[in-house]
Amino acid sequence: MVTNLIKITWQTVLLWLVFRLGVYLVGALDLSLPGNVAGMLLMFALLASGVVQPAWIETGSGFLLKHFAFFFIPISVGLMSFGPLVRKSGLALLAILLLSALAGAAVTGISVQLLQRRREP
Amino acid sequence: MNLTLFTLFVLLTLGAYLATRRLFLTYRHPLLNPVFLSTVAIIVLLQATGLTLEDYRPAKDAMTFLLGPATVALALPLYHNRQVLSKHALPVLSGVAAGSLTTMATALVAGRVLHLDDGVLLSLGPKSVTVPIAVEISRLAGGDASLTAAFVVATGMIGSIAGPTLLTLCRVQSPVARGLALGTVSHGQGTAVALLESETAGAMGGVAMAIAAVFTALVAPYYLPLFLR
Repeated sequence: MVTNLIKITWQTVLLWLVFRLGVYLVGALDLSLPGNVAGMLLMFALLASGVVQPAWIETGSGFLLKHFAFFFIPISVGLMSFGPLVRKSGLALLAILLLSALAGAAVTGISVQLLQRRREP
Repeated sequence: MNLTLFTLFVLLTLGAYLATRRLFLTYRHPLLNPVFLSTVAIIVLLQATGLTLEDYRPAKDAMTFLLGPATVALALPLYHNRQVLSKHALPVLSGVAAGSLTTMATALVAGRVLHLDDGVLLSLGPKSVTVPIAVEISRLAGGDASLTAAFVVATGMIGSIAGPTLLTLCRVQSPVARGLALGTVSHGQGTAVALLESETAGAMGGVAMAIAAVFTALVAPYYLPLFLR
């Protein structure tokens, strides 16, 4: 338990350092890419090149991803300042979200299946 | 900053999360989404006690501190799935790109037809991407982070509830295609549903979620303005 907690803590520090590096690089290179995406790509490159061993971040990553949903709760609470918008356009927004999700899923599913069939007749 | 209030808010958020997570894990129904239920509970409680978002903000900032490192942690599942990814590189990349562009275009065109403001449209743009990345894309584009977060959660629910039936109606049977479709549109929640269908579908959901995030982050600054006035 305690060993695990220490492991999670230092592995999270490592993830945090790569995150800060991502944020720094985006700023220094003036990229229109979120810093956290840059950090994720950077971490993928570090793993793929063997500089970082998966075991170094496995426990910390596992913990953060298992409780990923938790971080979204405080952000979503910010929605309470949008009461008027939800009352005014709530139904329209729901219709848009539904239409857009279904269109995107259908296009991805159908196009992937067609491309797969073409390659494996 | 009021320290008692701060501590109470953190405990309240943690408690709401743990309780709704247990509820979801027991019944596994997509409508029992922990983020959705916890958010509603906290907002209702704040409203009932006359507290405002400003009171909640210090606790919010402290609790989202680890979101950056958590996003970086997404590199690990992507790394573990790199073989599946390289085996199906062409269908994966083109399918995810087509789906991401379609879902953004549909939302923005429908939003314009229904006369929504540009700020709302920009917040809608990245809603098919996992929250930490969607929020950043939205902020960079000029949208609102909280609004985007809510759209992302709603999209996750919609896609994971209606997605599998829609794909069956469209005769999409391949687990690779189904997993990619669910992950592209409904990120983590779609991936969770794909994982219930099969291991391959689940792995593809995770891959799609990561690629859709990177792809959307790269194209959104140029693509979204095309749909504004």
